[in-house]
Amino acid sequence: MKNKSKHTKELTEHFFRNEYGKIVSVLTKYVGPDNVQTAEDIVQETLLKATDYWELNGIPKNPQAWLYTTAKNTALNILKREKHKNDYITETKKELENLENFQFSDEQILDEQLKMMFVCCHSSISENSQIALILKILCGFSITEIANSFFTSAETINKRLVRGRKQLRENRVSFELPNNINENLSIVLKTIYLLFNEGYNPSQKNELIRYDLCLEAIRLAEILINNPSIDEKSDCYALLALMYLNASRFEARMSKDGEIVEMENQNRAKWNKELITKGIQYLEQSKNNKISLYLILATISANHCIAKNFEETNWNEILSLYDSLILLEDSPITRLNRSVALAKVKGNKEAIKELLNLESNSDIGKHYLFQTTLAEFYSLENKTEKAGIRFKKALSLADNERDAEFIKKKLFEVVPI
Amino acid sequence: MKEFMLFIRSEEEPKQDFSPEQMQQHIEKVGSFIKKLSEEGKMKSAQPLEMEGRILSYKNGKIIDGPYNETKEVISGYYHLLAENLEEAIEITKGDPRFEEGIWRVEVRPIKKVEGIN
Repeated sequence: MKNKSKHTKELTEHFFRNEYGKIVSVLTKYVGPDNVQTAEDIVQETLLKATDYWELNGIPKNPQAWLYTTAKNTALNILKREKHKNDYITETKKELENLENFQFSDEQILDEQLKMMFVCCHSSISENSQIALILKILCGFSITEIANSFFTSAETINKRLVRGRKQLRENRVSFELPNNINENLSIVLKTIYLLFNEGYNPSQKNELIRYDLCLEAIRLAEILINNPSIDEKSDCYALLALMYLNASRFEARMSKDGEIVEMENQNRAKWNKELITKGIQYLEQSKNNKISLYLILATISANHCIAKNFEETNWNEILSLYDSLILLEDSPITRLNRSVALAKVKGNKEAIKELLNLESNSDIGKHYLFQTTLAEFYSLENKTEKAGIRFKKALSLADNERDAEFIKKKLFEVVPI
Repeated sequence: MKEFMLFIRSEEEPKQDFSPEQMQQHIEKVGSFIKKLSEEGKMKSAQPLEMEGRILSYKNGKIIDGPYNETKEVISGYYHLLAENLEEAIEITKGDPRFEEGIWRVEVRPIKKVEGIN
């Protein structure tokens, strides 16, 4: 009995997370973005009811319908109460009717989530708040979970959410797609990509990939491409290509002992061919029109994905793509990433030169990855002392245990004592 | 801890399977397009300015993990899956009707069972 209850709890938690955003989106349509908190409260209440009821009676045959019906009824009750306030009589009556007649269809739910995405990414809202709102409202993450993903405290996240909701109210943001949808689209895409990356990287608390975040990011991006209101979808396709291609390598990145596996040592048989295919399809669909960071990064990722092994990777092509990337955005980290391809094409010495140059021109030296990369190049050139110095420096800069462990291993390879 | 892999799959099956040659071709085509734009000096003007500062400036100017995953994976390759979530996900997938509808289909594949550990 205890196991069944635990199983039910886990199942409902995950299921709820996915349904949360959908229902909030639909309800916000009826209560308005300035009352998004109300919509969230209703859904919270619904989920609590579900937890109690389902724990006792088991999960219903159609859990989604159960949730939606309950949420709808709760919302109707609230709107009926509002009816008695003078200001809202006409509008509320209309909304009441609409909500009563509302049938939860898949298509409608997708539409409302799309609107919610744009609402959360409204230009009046700060970047930090945008992503917090998306995670909270659309993806159903708890404040603690969001805080963990962003290396910050629950209090900070809460402040961002409060500020975000306030900005929605103050700017009277309406629940519809913006007129200049293509301008706002880039903000939405950026937010989705930041979301993907937060899931892609281990947090400071030594957690493994927040895979859920990556799945959510992909899910949201696919809502975008499936919607006819958006004309210019090139960047969406490019972003999806990038996410699918990166995701295809998930399985190979961790050893059975839970250790990090470098790309060089990854078992490429574990790279998911279906995801790679999907990624390349999206890549295909995205070319010809626009150039974006996503497109170039996706192409780089694609080149990795189709390579038989590390050595036989088309490093020339990758280097050339990085050169294009630098034209678009010249930054220390782009150059750091490029240095790996540079080493493969022009030799380690060339790469070392580049990195030393970079170090003197920027503060990239503060990033542990810079130090490990440089250390690796030194190591390959048998400059073990210099390698050791850099690995030690990297160790001092690492901010979580897993990275530290990995660096230590590398360090001991060079300095056995 | 059970070791399962969770795969995301769009409900829409890939329109066609690519042969390795086709994949190569498609990727080269995009690569050429990108290079062409670079040579024509069209890079800067093509990209909306707001894209530039944003990703790097996130988290108050600290260098963060923006769209720069390549070095990490190549040098330290530390992307890996959240085991607890996976276990959770497996349990969920067994009975979750959600995955029969909507955009997502989740595929769970066993890797290996570890004996003696719950």
